Amino acid sequence: QRFRFCGDLDCPDWVLAEISTLAKISSVKLKLICAQVLRDLLGEAIEYEKILKVTSDAKLESGDVKATIAVLSFILSSAAKHNVDSESLSSELQQLGLPKEHASGLCRSYEEKQSSLQDRLKACSLRLSRLGSVCWRVDYTLSSSELQDVNEPLVHLTFNVQDGERGRVAAVPMTLSADKFRVLLAELKQAQTLMNTLL
Amino acid sequence: MLLVLSEEQKAHLGVLPRAGGAAVGELGRLAVELLRRGAAPRAWEAAARKLNIDVDTIQHGVEGLSYLLTESSKLMISEVDFQESVQVLGFSDELNQLLLQLYLDNRKEIRSILSELAPKLPSYHSLEWRLDVQLASRSLRQQIKPAVTLKLHLNQNEDQTAQVLQTDPSTLLHLIQQLEQALGEMKTNHCRRIVRNMK
Repeated sequence: QRFRFCGDLDCPDWVLAEISTLAKISSVKLKLICAQVLRDLLGEAIEYEKILKVTSDAKLESGDVKATIAVLSFILSSAAKHNVDSESLSSELQQLGLPKEHASGLCRSYEEKQSSLQDRLKACSLRLSRLGSVCWRVDYTLSSSELQDVNEPLVHLTFNVQDGERGRVAAVPMTLSADKFRVLLAELKQAQTLMNTLL
Repeated sequence: MLLVLSEEQKAHLGVLPRAGGAAVGELGRLAVELLRRGAAPRAWEAAARKLNIDVDTIQHGVEGLSYLLTESSKLMISEVDFQESVQVLGFSDELNQLLLQLYLDNRKEIRSILSELAPKLPSYHSLEWRLDVQLASRSLRQQIKPAVTLKLHLNQNEDQTAQVLQTDPSTLLHLIQQLEQALGEMKTNHCRRIVRNMK
């Protein structure tokens, strides 16, 4: 059977198996754990002690606690990845055997944070390099060893390129004559116009 | 298969009968620690003081014992062969029994340490991907050119490297087809026969 929140594929066996672990926790506690998992997915620090406090009353073993966090993490991030609305998610989770109360609590937390989750996932998407900053300087060459009167402007450009996620910034310096610089500027302006038509 | 010990190693192991029963246990423990974590000169000095033997003799004894254990574990020699190999050293039966016990107790662990020393190829860690569409370039506008960018993360001896690849969708489909064919090979009669015989 295919599920939208799994990307129109079958639900993984381990998720199916852990749904019954989720049902063991009360729906109020599940909502609290959900809030913590959402914090982790959004890049804030997860407060593991709070989760342990909540689950210690429910008598879950440490393996079950980790499994609960893993399955919630999967459900929430996968639903955001495939842009599933909270009602469809709720009905699909109920089809998998999650009680109605638990599913609606989970989906209400999901709905609140859906767009932040998707923004965060977009920011984490594969990016090879990005431009950090550009520095420039305009000089005027008076004379050189080859020619006594040169009298030409010269542009120095330095692109500071950040490499992927690791963040090492490499400086790429170059010099351009006035004509070359005009060509570069014209081409970049054309590219910018094209980008604006898409936004 | 019998173990062959050089004259030097026999001399090193000669410390064992002089040291006495309890000391053999201590030296055995030091030998296994040498294999687990490498040289521990401070522990050897402490043992030397406790047993009233000089440090160099202790060191040689520990090294000789660890050689005995690694070679025996590497070749997976039987109890009988081990006892016959050790007979050559001319130790008492009690000492031979202690050595045999030391070998049998630690054989599995030593073999797992030895298996990690084999050279390894880079192994798969994770894969990030991105689907882009090229709409225009400096030389040509009004294009539609889809491309898949992949970042393959590899692990080699705790070193993480990343390889960036790019392909068009039809090559990607071909790649997927080839990989599925490779997986399908496991189900052929030829592979099944080999797997059955290996068990």
